[in-house]
Amino acid sequence: MNRTQRIIFYILVLIAGATWIFLSADTGASTASLPAPQTGFLAPDFTLKTATGEGYTLSALQGQAVLVNIWATWCPPCRSEMPAIQAMYDEYKEQGLIVLAVNSTVQDNPLDIAPFTQEYGLTFPILLDETGDVSRAYQVRSLPSSYFINRQGIITEVVIGGPMSEALLRTRIEETLK
Amino acid sequence: MLETFQNFFAPPRHMILLVIAAWLGLTLAERRAENHGISKDDLNNITFYGLIAFVIGGRISYVLQNLSAFSKSPLGILSINPDLFDPLGALAAACIVALVYGQRKQLTLWNTLDALTPFLAVFAIGSGLSHLAAGTAFGQPTELPWGIEMWNATRHPTQMYETLASLLTLGLILLFKPHQRPGFLFLIFTAQASFWQLVIHAFRADSTMIVNGLRQEQILAWVVLAFSFICLELIDPRPPMKKLIDSKYKGPG
Repeated sequence: MNRTQRIIFYILVLIAGATWIFLSADTGASTASLPAPQTGFLAPDFTLKTATGEGYTLSALQGQAVLVNIWATWCPPCRSEMPAIQAMYDEYKEQGLIVLAVNSTVQDNPLDIAPFTQEYGLTFPILLDETGDVSRAYQVRSLPSSYFINRQGIITEVVIGGPMSEALLRTRIEETLK
Repeated sequence: MLETFQNFFAPPRHMILLVIAAWLGLTLAERRAENHGISKDDLNNITFYGLIAFVIGGRISYVLQNLSAFSKSPLGILSINPDLFDPLGALAAACIVALVYGQRKQLTLWNTLDALTPFLAVFAIGSGLSHLAAGTAFGQPTELPWGIEMWNATRHPTQMYETLASLLTLGLILLFKPHQRPGFLFLIFTAQASFWQLVIHAFRADSTMIVNGLRQEQILAWVVLAFSFICLELIDPRPPMKKLIDSKYKGPG
């Protein structure tokens, strides 16, 4: 291929590329209307109760920033990050942060939950996922799994594994509260 | 099969795929480095220092962008959590360190980039597989028979498109004879990679939209493609052997 042929080829490819960009412009198919446990999607809704029978529905919390943390008492990183979550909850709850700590009760010993809560002095709601429905809806494959949900109910960040440091929590929470 | 793969490499284990790809890519690049006038040691060193700079630079850049958060809990700077990371800052740091190393060792830019191209091409394959395992870089809903179930919809398997395109890119790169013009291999790689990004992003559901639904990533890919074409025309048209013969014929004067 000589130089002229090459340049013609480049120009044709670039014109085809530009045409493709305009033809494939998004016509408004937004992911935000679908519920899925991924950044940019509407957070899958759930209703769970605490050990004392107090019920929480995620969709009823729209208008507030929510951190859903799925955990178990036997999971070391879950234990490690709990003090940081509690500290952040204390710092940001006045600004509208709700923490829903969903215990994966289906794979935990329910008798261990109360001592765990006392040991770490947790004051946010500890919800019991006794059937595993929430873990399934959030497609949890690792513990802990954390979902930062903004005031519109959209997941802004997913953190799989841990422990999350205070700095990480702080940056994600401040983003979620915007 | 897809579910087994996703379960096995579920986040954060999907990073293993990137590590494997980096290792395989480096092995392949090592074997071919001397064809581009770069020694194996220099290639290994530049990759090693580049990776170290990538990791440290990504963290430093993230910290600098979130100074207020880290000033309240400075120990977070040393956290092992990979989410405290800025990929663009990481890339910039890696490039700077690689450039400095290259200058100190008097490595020519285009030859070094050519030597690194197999590494980049294999890494791109690992990146596609890693996206598939993590469920990121996902596609738009489709009714096509090869759609995959992901995030509560049947979607374009954009991660598979990405992986196949990267495999094709690698295959084409391996087909080229080693003694091409310096920079040729790297520019062919960037042209192909940006072309495939331009095509595949049309099917992705996580693109960044700018005016009138245009995707930022596609526009960026188009610019890189155009830049690659321009550079392909501007690089020294003589192959290395020809230059060597010319300089010998010309003599010291």
